[in-house]
Amino acid sequence: MGLELRDLSKHFIVRTDRGNAVVRAAEKVNLEIPEGQTIALVGESGCGKTTIAKLVLMLERPTSGAVTFDGKSLSEMSRHEIKNYRRQVQAVFQDPYASLNPRLTVRRIITEPILAHYKRDRATLNARVAELLEIVGLPPTAADLYPHEFSGGQRQRIAIARALALEPRIIILDEPTSALDVSIRAQVLNLLMDIQEKFGLTYLLIAHDLALVEHLAARVVVLYLGSVVECGESEQIFTAPKHPYTQALLDAVPRPDPDYMPKAAEGFDDTGSALDPPSGCKFHPRCPHAMPICTSENPSLITLADGRNAACHLLSARPALQE
Amino acid sequence: MTAAPLLQVENLQMHLHLRRGVVKAVDGVSFHVHEGETLGIVGESGSGKTMTCLSILRLLPIHGDGRLEGSVKLDGDDLLQLTEEEMASRVRGPKVAMISQDPMTSLNPVFTVGDQVSGPFRYHKLVRTVREAMSAATAGLRRVRIPSPERRLKNYPHQFSGGMRQRVVTAMAIACSPRLLIADEPTTALDVTIQVQIMSLLRSIQRDSKLGIILITHDLSIVAGLCHRIAVMYAGRIIETGKVRDIYRNPQHPYTQALLEAIPHLGQKRKRLAAIPGQPPNLMDLPTGCRFAPRCPKRMAVCDDYPPATELGDGHVVNCWLAAKQ
Repeated sequence: MGLELRDLSKHFIVRTDRGNAVVRAAEKVNLEIPEGQTIALVGESGCGKTTIAKLVLMLERPTSGAVTFDGKSLSEMSRHEIKNYRRQVQAVFQDPYASLNPRLTVRRIITEPILAHYKRDRATLNARVAELLEIVGLPPTAADLYPHEFSGGQRQRIAIARALALEPRIIILDEPTSALDVSIRAQVLNLLMDIQEKFGLTYLLIAHDLALVEHLAARVVVLYLGSVVECGESEQIFTAPKHPYTQALLDAVPRPDPDYMPKAAEGFDDTGSALDPPSGCKFHPRCPHAMPICTSENPSLITLADGRNAACHLLSARPALQE
Repeated sequence: MTAAPLLQVENLQMHLHLRRGVVKAVDGVSFHVHEGETLGIVGESGSGKTMTCLSILRLLPIHGDGRLEGSVKLDGDDLLQLTEEEMASRVRGPKVAMISQDPMTSLNPVFTVGDQVSGPFRYHKLVRTVREAMSAATAGLRRVRIPSPERRLKNYPHQFSGGMRQRVVTAMAIACSPRLLIADEPTTALDVTIQVQIMSLLRSIQRDSKLGIILITHDLSIVAGLCHRIAVMYAGRIIETGKVRDIYRNPQHPYTQALLEAIPHLGQKRKRLAAIPGQPPNLMDLPTGCRFAPRCPKRMAVCDDYPPATELGDGHVVNCWLAAKQ
């Protein structure tokens, strides 16, 4: 069971110089998040990854559709059930300089979620703090220090300890390492992989770094201007991307290899604007394979022979995309 | 490339004297850049890569009483000996230009792009009338391949996408045809698809104008395809430098090796990364010996003394006792 997105849409009304306009930040997104796995949302800025995370965290309400947890829609849950949901779903954010309250000690930061949900005496809390700090690899003395006394990597460990405090089933990781230095990133990534294994956690990973996604995620969802364009096993997506957008995205990733030159797709300058998305397939103005039908009809997400989903007219017309 | 280098930096030091102590941000750095060549300076935050480049331009933080020592020779002129006025009129812009990481903060939100791109031409008195300034700005935007530049002159920075803004900043940087361009993490704030475009733009500008480029980055994969040579910085010093191929194929310093292993690459799945333990050292309280030694898996007793530079041939130089001993 676990978490599922059903036809989830989120529209924002924004004022422009030509009156109000609707930004379709997420458009009919369907997604199952299998338990104990990592599923990654990828795409360029403005593709809706963070909006989806906010909907899952109940920081935004969907315009239509639903987020369901163990089969029940969040909007139909009682207060008691919502409280339970919030215990099960936690988050680690991108910037540990912004996500930790500078006025609280690490002990207060970590116990805050616990106290919001349970009554616990001081001894129990202190034991729990010590236990959590050990899990994330910080010394017990860290409990009485303030966030500014830690480096970026250590702060992210504190944020991870806070996310683990309520023994959640699901953790949303919003760019968990992009604010960290290269030599520190690996430490935090390894920690995330260790605790996932130890506690059987489900991760919803939001990242723009595709190498990181391939490294962590079992399933990948590629978003473009609010819609899913391709979704499947990480291996399928990375070894044989089917949607022209996924291909362009992968071609652009630089590699630490002097003989490899990332490819710049021709005319790939601008993402279409989410305010005024192109007609038909939203990717068509940038697509090297665009056909007449692409400008008029939005391709629907179809299931391909290997079980993955993709939304592209090339794939509806032919079994495989020809090079 | 046998001619004299365009830029020759010798033993550059930039120490910030704060009340709490001396921060050795740049501590004896030497390197050179030839015409038409790209040097990648790779390092983590606090390694001194940005401070090195700001020192070349003599743009130091206002607070902290920054003190520069060493020499920075550009086309034979020692920039550290010039007056502030000479730097402003003869060097910054016409000789050395810089693009910074975040194009939103380096553009002024309340002036149009046309005003800003024509700025360097007006400042250096290359144009006399507004009309000339605007046509220079149009040409500048065209050079960085911004579509329909005439129409975009009247737009404000917020009306441009991130990639387009970085193109605008690049247009300003190359306005006075500098000899050296310093690009400080020019693509870090951008999406991968846009990153490639800015990189290929820099490459084509370099091809046309024999520009020397210093590319600062924390990510070894970004520089691989673009640089000719790489210098790896750690805690204020260059610890390994060489041709790009030598650095990637045959890294000698344990830090360079660890950096290459610590980033996930496409095509390698779900294995544990070789993390570098610990934190970079405090620049106010540096170890006397090798600065990487406290985190180094191959540390030896001799690492308590600073390792000498060992030349491995073809410009590949490493500061590590492991290489010195062989």
